[in-house]
Amino acid sequence: MASSVQTSPRIGKGVPPLRAGQGNSFFWRRLHSLSGIIPVGVFLTEHMISNFAATNGPPAYNDTVKFLTSLPALIVLEWVGIFIPILFHAGYGIYIWWRGDNNVTDYPWQGNWLYTLQRYTGIIVFAYILFHTYTMRFTGVHLATHPDQAFKKVHDELLHPWAMAIYVIGVVTASWHFGYGIFLFCAKWGIATGERARKRVRAFGIAVAILFMVLGLSSAYSFVNPKNQVPANSAASVNSSTQSGMTQAPATTDNQ
Amino acid sequence: MANKTVLIKIKRQANPESQPYWEEFELTWRPGMNVISSIMEIAANPVTRDGKKTTPIVYDSNCLEEVCGSCAMLINGRARMACSALIDKLDQPITLEPFSKFPVVRDLSVDRSVLFENLKAVKAWVPVDGTYDLGSGPRMTPDEQEGAYPLSRCISCCCCMEACPQFNESTGFVGAATISQVRLFNTHPTGKVLKQDRLSALMGDGGIQECGYAQNCVEVCPKDIPLTKSISEVGKDVMKKAVVDFFRQ
Repeated sequence: MASSVQTSPRIGKGVPPLRAGQGNSFFWRRLHSLSGIIPVGVFLTEHMISNFAATNGPPAYNDTVKFLTSLPALIVLEWVGIFIPILFHAGYGIYIWWRGDNNVTDYPWQGNWLYTLQRYTGIIVFAYILFHTYTMRFTGVHLATHPDQAFKKVHDELLHPWAMAIYVIGVVTASWHFGYGIFLFCAKWGIATGERARKRVRAFGIAVAILFMVLGLSSAYSFVNPKNQVPANSAASVNSSTQSGMTQAPATTDNQ
Repeated sequence: MANKTVLIKIKRQANPESQPYWEEFELTWRPGMNVISSIMEIAANPVTRDGKKTTPIVYDSNCLEEVCGSCAMLINGRARMACSALIDKLDQPITLEPFSKFPVVRDLSVDRSVLFENLKAVKAWVPVDGTYDLGSGPRMTPDEQEGAYPLSRCISCCCCMEACPQFNESTGFVGAATISQVRLFNTHPTGKVLKQDRLSALMGDGGIQECGYAQNCVEVCPKDIPLTKSISEVGKDVMKKAVVDFFRQ
């Protein structure tokens, strides 16, 4: 009764079978996975720690920026260590996202939700990074030449409530994407293979995510409520902003 | 309770090219009904809910005890075996659909030969040519047996593939079942002679790298195969081979 229609042994449509040994997608996909940890994740860690210097007040933060901007071959470090890897990770990540079929409505399980969340956080973080590098790196005071203006630049931008909201979203999504990414990396590369080992790594990844959220949000708080003086410094910003190419973002915050 | 009925909506399709359509059936409730017994009942009296005569539902099934893997379908939207889907545990109306990622042959019957092609691509067998008596194979320790047994329970139902967000036409992902079979045969004392071939195959397009670790596979698997562990273990072996090949080839 359960009759079976004779079908061709060759598959005409549907999901194609494995193309054994063909193509380079293994290399690119694994490189994408690795690039999320090294160098993008390493840079995120450095960035979170460096920004945390803001909780020690403007001079401490400006000193940190001074040290970072004094590194040799800064432009090479920036492009090879940060920009190109992020662009690759984001670009290939969007390609991965576009090819996956989210199916949380039919299979509403934790791992599936986190799979979907990893894609959405990725796209949000990338949009945030574009905004963030535009306002902090490519416009306004050039911090590599004026590291002493660093705290004030961030302070002025974060005074704007919309900018602050975007920062909070950026910090939370970036922290989560990286934390859960640690788990995904360890699971896919076979660093943690067993059930319990993977659970431990996932707990570690989530702990990293929470730690980074705390670091990032307390840094953001310190930028608007600086330790020691600075209120005077920010009052002076109206005057000082006329010097050295301060354009859009700080100018609008001054008007608030 | 006397006239309790069961409402079943079935997505039908006359042939691979035609448009699918829905038909509703109402059956008298009996204790211990499952989805397969319900479709059998419909076959015995193929009349829709509104009294229209129709054709019996085409579906695959064989063992009726969740060991053959034939009767996998979407039951209330989720991939599972129809024989072990008890009517009393399902929300009504019960919807039955063919797998969405496999070509429909007719009604609930789909062409799952992609799994067979994938198993061939990774050489999921123990190579024994059989031209002369090789004697008994190497002994497996109880530990090895215990590791291999759960993997050998795979019934090729393709639920893990249907539920996987990465298994689709654009990725051509091989799916968890095949990767788990690679682990089974790579740990087999005779089967492991083909280990390198299998790992190389999984590095191809649509290979293990396409796994996004959504972990639906291990959740839907009717045989409770540790599929995510298999993916991680084989992922490690493939990665090791990739690094070794990079420096030695």
